[in-house]
Amino acid sequence: MTITPNLRDYRFWLLAAALLILSAVFFHPQTSAQASLYRLTFIVDITRSMNTEDYQLDQQPLGRLQFVKQALRRELLKLPCGSQVGLGVFTERRSTLLFEPIEVCSGFAEIDAAIAALDWRMAWAADSRIASGLLSTLEMLKDKDQTLVFFSDGQEAPPPNPRYKLDLSAVKDQVKGVIVGVGGEQLSPIPKFDAKGQRQGFYKPEDVPHRSSFGESDLNPEKIQGYNARNAPFGSDAATGDEHMSRLHESYLRQLAAESGLQYRRLTDTDSLDNALQQAEFAKPGIQNIDSSWRFAGLALLLLAAIYIR
Amino acid sequence: MNLGLEYPWVLAGLLLCLLPIFRLGAVANPYPWQAILPPDPLSQAISGLIRLLGVLAIGGLTLGLAGAYLQEQQVERIGHGAHIVMLLDRSNSMDNTFAGKAPDAQGEESKANAARRLLNQFVDHRQHDLIGVAEYSTSPLFVLPLTENKAAIHAAIDATALPALAYTNVSKGLSMALEFFDSRPVTGSRIVLLVSDGAAVIDPDSEAALRELFKQRQVSLYWVFLRTANSPGLFEIPDDPRDDNAQAMPERYLHLFFNSLHIPYKAYEAETPGALQQAVDDINRLENRPLHYFERIPKQDLSTRCYAFAAVMLLLLLGVKLCEARP
Repeated sequence: MTITPNLRDYRFWLLAAALLILSAVFFHPQTSAQASLYRLTFIVDITRSMNTEDYQLDQQPLGRLQFVKQALRRELLKLPCGSQVGLGVFTERRSTLLFEPIEVCSGFAEIDAAIAALDWRMAWAADSRIASGLLSTLEMLKDKDQTLVFFSDGQEAPPPNPRYKLDLSAVKDQVKGVIVGVGGEQLSPIPKFDAKGQRQGFYKPEDVPHRSSFGESDLNPEKIQGYNARNAPFGSDAATGDEHMSRLHESYLRQLAAESGLQYRRLTDTDSLDNALQQAEFAKPGIQNIDSSWRFAGLALLLLAAIYIR
Repeated sequence: MNLGLEYPWVLAGLLLCLLPIFRLGAVANPYPWQAILPPDPLSQAISGLIRLLGVLAIGGLTLGLAGAYLQEQQVERIGHGAHIVMLLDRSNSMDNTFAGKAPDAQGEESKANAARRLLNQFVDHRQHDLIGVAEYSTSPLFVLPLTENKAAIHAAIDATALPALAYTNVSKGLSMALEFFDSRPVTGSRIVLLVSDGAAVIDPDSEAALRELFKQRQVSLYWVFLRTANSPGLFEIPDDPRDDNAQAMPERYLHLFFNSLHIPYKAYEAETPGALQQAVDDINRLENRPLHYFERIPKQDLSTRCYAFAAVMLLLLLGVKLCEARP
């Protein structure tokens, strides 16, 4: 056996090259690629108006909170591995965090179960003061490297009094994030539940406050019927309104977003959420190592096959 | 054992395995008349073997390229551990120190802070436990299901660093904690670890419901009561018998109620962060009943092994090539 005749055989060279190239695989060749990772904290409004059924799924009416939960659970699947998701709820005038961000792929089951368990009955108090809630949320996330995703329908209860507008300038632009408006444009009745969670029809006009009765009215006292500075600062007329019905208060949420340096997006379908979240502004550069051994193995396979071609 | 493929379509490359079967891949040497050669089983076997080497090499490469992997497996094991539900009080007063003051800068620790630090340590010590987290204030908050994902549990415990919520509604919190054990096999210890700094009166309706739930679920209860200095303790009997009622001393009455449940129950009065440690140690020591659990073996990549196999085949082929007869 001599080597020399083999050196003239192209098959020998192909085989040797295939083996050499394949052996590169055992050094674990990797290419690194830029990946966009996200660190999101979802804060979900769980006030009663979020029970309003103005979304549709499979021809069935679906409550806003249910729709948000569905959209979130689908979004979990779309986020790239290595992204992190935290969850919190908002009611009354503040929000609370259930957990700090957890990695989505290893913690998928846990995050999914927690989202599925979101419920309006988690609320520890009943008001819905969204501006205060947003302020408390922004203060909470101020020093954390997290992107806020605040879901709300913008319906304050009792309705906000422009005279006592909250000043959000202290937290403006401190936190990146987006306010996601939830709900339809038409007024819809808000389902009412009793203490045991049984559904009891809808809220009626007399069930809800139609104006804030705190402090003084924002109107000129001369324009208020029956005004009395001490005894009737809001006048003698009973407040009327349509606060027992709910719609998405988009302009209010847009205004809150502008004042706090957040973006505003509307939740129309589950894709709209993905567009709102997976954007460059929220992405954190992460490096993903991609195994590139397939290139070497593929080349080896081609070389090997070439031996048999002719 | 379950095989899976990352890119099943690559398997179409297996068609290439036909190549070595129909072609030898060697130099054809001219021979005057083949029919004159006697049939030689050994040669035929060797020729078949060489073709097989080619098939195996191509097959190995293709499988590797298709990203063969072993699916995530669950291996049943028996160890020592428990299913633990941490039920954390998120009422306002948890933000105060053990002395009942708002914590100031001189290294004083709020009750919530002390609890958080110890619970995090506790989680790290319990290797095989499934731990779930629930919180309660005016209403119960579901946080995490029973899970072995320690990072997630830490994330939930850390989130309690934020200011607490409203009131203390312990009965609803307890019912939620007990629901965690629904549809879970009874194996190992089942523990509800209640961490609170106060109690509230439990109304008779929920009292009856809780009695039943505790019985059915076979749960043992550990109550870490973060007592504020000078507040009535669990074991204190008031001097004035008129004060001995649930409204005046809800903690004592909750303790009596837990005692009357006839379940394994232990209460700890932690007046200092050190006493909380005691409770955690006790659980570590006592609650180690044999536990059936499933250990998750993550998905294993097999492609490197396929490549290694193919490389060996290639090496053999190269050896064969070197032995080739040259005219």
